[in-house]
Amino acid sequence: MNRMKLRNVLRSLILGGLLVPQLASAMVFLRISGSELPAVQDMGVKNLVFAWPISDVSAVRKVQAQGYQIFFEASTGDLSAAAENAEKMNIAGVILAIDNVDGPGDNELFRLVTAAHPRLSFLLLNPGGKEPQMRGRLVVERNGILQVSSPTSQPWVDTNLALVKLARAFRPDVIPLYSFHWDLSDALRNKLGPAVEDYCLAISEANAFHADVILDLHEKLQQGLVRKESSAWAVWNNVKRYIAFEQSESAASKLRPVANTAFVMDTVAPSYEGLNLMARHNIPFVVLRPGDLEQELLETFDTLVVFSAPDSAVIALVDNFAKHGGIVVLVNLHGEFPWHSLEPAHKDKQETAYNVGAGQVVELAEPVIDPEAFSRDLRRLMGFQRTTLGLWNSLTSVAIADRQDSKDETIVNLVNYALEAEPVQVQIKGHFSSIRYESPDEGCCQHLTPVQRGPFTEFVIPALFVRGRVHLSR
Amino acid sequence: MHWHRPYLFIVFLIASVYVSSPILRAQTEPPVYKKRYVMGTVFEVVVYGLPTDHASAAIDKALDEAVRLDHVMSNYKDDSDLSRMNRTAHFQSTEIPLDLYRVIEESLPYSRLSNGRFDISVGPLVDLWKAAIRGGPMPTVEEEARARYCVGYQKIELIPPNRIEFHSDCMRLDLGSIGKGYAVDRMAEILRAQGVRSAYINAGGSTMYGIGTPPGKKGWAVHLRDPSNNLNPEVMLMDNSVSTSEQTADSALGGESPGHIVLPTSGKPLRTKYAVNVVARLATESDALSTTLLLVGPENGALMIKGRKDVAAMWISTDGERTVADNGVQIFWENRAGVQTDGKIAGTKISGSPNQK
Repeated sequence: MNRMKLRNVLRSLILGGLLVPQLASAMVFLRISGSELPAVQDMGVKNLVFAWPISDVSAVRKVQAQGYQIFFEASTGDLSAAAENAEKMNIAGVILAIDNVDGPGDNELFRLVTAAHPRLSFLLLNPGGKEPQMRGRLVVERNGILQVSSPTSQPWVDTNLALVKLARAFRPDVIPLYSFHWDLSDALRNKLGPAVEDYCLAISEANAFHADVILDLHEKLQQGLVRKESSAWAVWNNVKRYIAFEQSESAASKLRPVANTAFVMDTVAPSYEGLNLMARHNIPFVVLRPGDLEQELLETFDTLVVFSAPDSAVIALVDNFAKHGGIVVLVNLHGEFPWHSLEPAHKDKQETAYNVGAGQVVELAEPVIDPEAFSRDLRRLMGFQRTTLGLWNSLTSVAIADRQDSKDETIVNLVNYALEAEPVQVQIKGHFSSIRYESPDEGCCQHLTPVQRGPFTEFVIPALFVRGRVHLSR
Repeated sequence: MHWHRPYLFIVFLIASVYVSSPILRAQTEPPVYKKRYVMGTVFEVVVYGLPTDHASAAIDKALDEAVRLDHVMSNYKDDSDLSRMNRTAHFQSTEIPLDLYRVIEESLPYSRLSNGRFDISVGPLVDLWKAAIRGGPMPTVEEEARARYCVGYQKIELIPPNRIEFHSDCMRLDLGSIGKGYAVDRMAEILRAQGVRSAYINAGGSTMYGIGTPPGKKGWAVHLRDPSNNLNPEVMLMDNSVSTSEQTADSALGGESPGHIVLPTSGKPLRTKYAVNVVARLATESDALSTTLLLVGPENGALMIKGRKDVAAMWISTDGERTVADNGVQIFWENRAGVQTDGKIAGTKISGSPNQK
């Protein structure tokens, strides 16, 4: 093998999260109050997180003695101290809360600390996690003032998919981990705690997106479980059913995302809301850093949305991508590009479009101001034929598709944020003759009827409540 | 500890006043808020002045009613009463639930009033353009003609008390421009029957209804949709409703971008620069009128609602042009420089926005 070939092979291998298959994951961590917890086997979760510095070491010791695996959650400044004490206390690991998904963090420190404590597991907690939910528009406060969350005609879904995709792009070697705190500002929810469906949704979402999640166990529920209250155990047994469902998908499963749109960016800030809307609109995408781009990789995409200023190598790749039929959208990037020698096919103050070879380049003059309109426009620009995955009748569901080569299967993971059972019509590119559907509520597996329509296969999930998983094979 | 009789009496007295005084209760009980996904959007209800459990149960009943009506009126659910009717009522009298009958009956005057611009039989045209909105090809002239042939409210025959017949072989009704308003009115009835005297219902931001007033306020101040972002209009709701309609925004990428509101008389998506806000006593009326008045435009619309009691309409364009027909309903305007053009009452502020009607 000559040096060039070797280089190409190595580059392919380090295109993290893309050519290298991702590991599915389903780790649930709990934050608790106090030290009273039922037995590990009854809880069905064994990972507990304590914030460093520890306020009550005896509480840690107590649950540790019950067999729980303990992780200390520390900031960068506390990382060394947390790791040293974790080692001494025979703790399972340390979770480092990083400041930016895309930032370098203190990699050198992290490398040194991890090297100094090879026995410990080190995990990175991404910032910006949010409670998954279908959000309303009204914010209600005790003094009677109501304000507006955000004007939107469709239900606003708070999802962590964009965060997970970014985390995977910027740290391809680790499974994304995120967390959030329950919003308990509403009087009723504060009194009762999150509903069973809220826990189920949070667990479902993390697994569907192949990420790990830290959840707060509400004090009322925790106390009820310790006191063996039947209502508390009814809730937790349901939650356990969802955890078991997620663990039924082997954590070692290797998956390749099915996506034909790539967002190219070197920082998160200017594009985050755009990505969020893509996720909500079920436009399958991956995030690439400019350095990831190479010819072979681009051949797997139909659409490139470029947010970061391209260098000459990237410009050449993008130009070639368009010439071979790809769609390129440059967002607020100004400069001299090869296609400027062509006559624009369309030009106004917002955008200039060029027909480049068999493809198209659209330059947007401004940043994405209205992400809703942008995601809708992007879907329109891609056109019907380029859509790899589409959902009907479900404005509150998010779906992602992956290939599992070892089983020659495509897997579609679905999450419904409305927490109401509803039929969902799915369209996926490719021809599949066997479609099996499973869910935590109905188990495995119901055979669904495929309908072939042009290059697509369509099927209907009769009732998606919170979580569903579809296995498609040819 | 021993309690002397006079103290016990005072405690009893305070408790009695508290229980019997809705004003006191309203100011001390926390508001109870719930939401649910219904009719393709989020329905939200907030109730003031009742004990948490009571308020929570009342809201559940109201939201359950919205869900029930969705099963009656949904054109997305194959097994809804509307879908069943759409399959079976062609040239044959078909029995339908009373709610469905009522909402269809209530829609027809708006069709007559607008000479067919508002028409609940627009379904085939809406479906035709929906694909184009999602990135599919634009409909051909032939497809458009075929869909238009199926449209026409005159071909709907209501046979009292609960039957319907379509005098068309391809008619399909779509209640998207009136159904949410109807559901909101039924929800308000239920909340009142449960003893609720202060509540706010929001159906996806496009139709809102205020029961009574919020605690200590003179009304529910609703900040209305203003596509110019310069006029900042508000209305104060008290036992009435406001609805907003607006065509889907144009594409930022240029080219043709059809909106979701289709003009039945032309068969094409409406082109308009206006958003319309309508205040009315009932949500069914504000909901239906907001679409109707968007479709007919400000000139005809202002004439159309002239003399209609307790109804106000505002057309606001993207460039800040406004037309108001208020019929006595007070509307407050405030531009971004903070200059108010009308007296303003402090109240609870809520925003209106268009929905996909």
